[in-house]
Amino acid sequence: MFELFVAMFREEWRVHAVLFGPAMFALLPALVGAMAFMGAFLVPVVNGALPAGDLAAIVHVLFLLLGAMVGGFGLVGNEVMNRRFGQASFVAYAARTLPLSERRIFAAFVAKDTVYYLLLWILPVIAGVALASPFIDLPAAAVLRLFLSLLLSFLAGLAVLFTATTVYGRSKAAFAGLAVGAAAVLAFSLVNGVIPSFPPLAIYRDFSWPLLAGTLAALGAAFGVSLLLFRPVSAGGERRHPDRFTGLHRRLVRLPYPALAAKDLLDLWRSGGGGGQVLFSLLLPLGLCWFLLSLLAPVLPAHGVLLLFAVLAGVLASTMYTWVTAFDTLGAYACLPVGVGDLIRSKLGLFALLQVVPAGVVLGAAALSGGANVAVPALALALGVSAWSVGVTVWLAGLSPNVLVYDPRVLLAYLVGVGLPVIALVVLGLLNPWLGLSALALVVPAALAVRAGIRRWEAADSAFF
Amino acid sequence: MAMVIEARDLSKHYGETVAVDGLSLEVPAGALYGLLGPNGSGKSTTIRLLTGQTPPSAGTATVLGLDAATDPVGVRRRVGIIPEQETPPSFLTAAEYLRFVGAIRGLEEVGEAAAWWFDFLDFGDKRDVLCKDLSRGTRQKLMFAQAFLHSPRLALIDEPLVNFDPIVQHQVKEFLVDYVRRGNTIFLSTHILEVAEEICTGFAVLHRGRLLATGTPDELREEGRHLPDVFLELVRQERSHV
Repeated sequence: MFELFVAMFREEWRVHAVLFGPAMFALLPALVGAMAFMGAFLVPVVNGALPAGDLAAIVHVLFLLLGAMVGGFGLVGNEVMNRRFGQASFVAYAARTLPLSERRIFAAFVAKDTVYYLLLWILPVIAGVALASPFIDLPAAAVLRLFLSLLLSFLAGLAVLFTATTVYGRSKAAFAGLAVGAAAVLAFSLVNGVIPSFPPLAIYRDFSWPLLAGTLAALGAAFGVSLLLFRPVSAGGERRHPDRFTGLHRRLVRLPYPALAAKDLLDLWRSGGGGGQVLFSLLLPLGLCWFLLSLLAPVLPAHGVLLLFAVLAGVLASTMYTWVTAFDTLGAYACLPVGVGDLIRSKLGLFALLQVVPAGVVLGAAALSGGANVAVPALALALGVSAWSVGVTVWLAGLSPNVLVYDPRVLLAYLVGVGLPVIALVVLGLLNPWLGLSALALVVPAALAVRAGIRRWEAADSAFF
Repeated sequence: MAMVIEARDLSKHYGETVAVDGLSLEVPAGALYGLLGPNGSGKSTTIRLLTGQTPPSAGTATVLGLDAATDPVGVRRRVGIIPEQETPPSFLTAAEYLRFVGAIRGLEEVGEAAAWWFDFLDFGDKRDVLCKDLSRGTRQKLMFAQAFLHSPRLALIDEPLVNFDPIVQHQVKEFLVDYVRRGNTIFLSTHILEVAEEICTGFAVLHRGRLLATGTPDELREEGRHLPDVFLELVRQERSHV
């Protein structure tokens, strides 16, 4: 199995090296490290406003969140391999001809993906902070503890989501039971004033070998159980469905390309275990965001948490464009009278429809947090940021938004293009919630970015089309 | 005679690689035209160029009077295409996929036509199965059905028989001959030379992106020669020159 892991690892490198150039792909961790290095200089400033313990908690929860966002392997099962590699005789697919079980192939795939994220994202962040540590009075021992605890936080997020999605894939009732049980334990702890301990954070604060061993054992058990529960879905089975396309096509007739939108919606629904994608890729991350922001409540102005949450919801909502572009390649349309522009427009139509979900979340958060009076600017912030972010995405990446994660040039352009207006909107929103309405002005440049993006990607000679 | 396909000095380069090199070709209406060549000779790229899936590096291609480079969607609207790799969208069922194609092509109702294809190619028991779970042969049947759903005047087919069993191959050959007899045109690429000799009314031989010869099986028969022998001779001669 180790040989398979190495082959997959090598292949992943080559795929990205061919797409972006080896030097450019190798630069990605350097870019991430540089951003972490610069960000580390904010620590003394933030420390002035926040208790040091809260800052450490926030950073660890952020890494937990990152792991959680990566860990949805169980939800999509084998689809993740097909989506990432296609079925064009790449290693993951070709390995099925070898005397290896689907479970082992999948385990190698999960291990490879985990190591890749560690190398591309986690280690560069920690290296950036380590390099900055002499300038921000962070002792070397603390850097070492941080290295370990952040790594464990990431793995914890990965393991929790991997387990949750695998259970969800097996039995939605079992998942609901698990979720209710976890919520009950959390609620009981909070009601009784007991703050649940997060082992990686405890390791950072007060390192001990038994705690480390226990945490590693728990993580190993979670990964082991997930792999045991993992069910290879494409092992020769024939999944049957009644015709849902006709009805959906009729219902979506107001969208610009109802047939394409209906197909994309069915792809989304059938590939991700029903509403699993919404739950794991949007609602859970948003829940964690709310938790993190609520830690900042004492240092934020009134409704600051809600408005920051709305901005983050907008950024996360824009990733729904990735959902609707994840299930097909241009090759699937080679025989049909549709162009790249038609596909982008149809996917944006469905994307716009899906914005109902984050909009509902923001309105719900406003109502539940006592911010109903600023629900309108919060909604404007979420939708404006989402529209602008997706406009930038279309311009930079067309129908392949996943390149954002791997091409440092595109990633940097995205971060600058989205980051600057977002920072400006955050400042405006915190000054006066109603200034958040100005986010709606982003819809115009977003539309222009989409139009320019369509022209750009229609002119590109795609190797897949 | 009216030409449904006219290629003039058509070339396609991918970096250093020359996939198609100065191809000039005319296909008359009502032909069952075979594009023959060994693997990697440029057959699939030629079909991609003719259907506007990729723009040419040089030259022009006119299909049913439309320029494939400037109006690729228009070309694809009027023709039927079976691409090199059978790739129906994964998460639609076979029946849903045909409805999807019908909707994209603006057909009012495809139920009857779809039912005919399920029956003709004998895969009605798979109509509710997700495309991604279909066998390669069944996916090919589905792609065959989608290409003819709108009864196009011209169909461009890449390796139409390669995944079919002998019974279906026989049915499909009969269908193609009959389709052309009804006044339509078929342009197919294949390296199964016996099939080309059996059903094609004209052929072109491609090797390393270049056109080596054109002709008709009838001409060869008059000379007492067989298409597979001529093809091998041409390709070997070309290889010995390189």
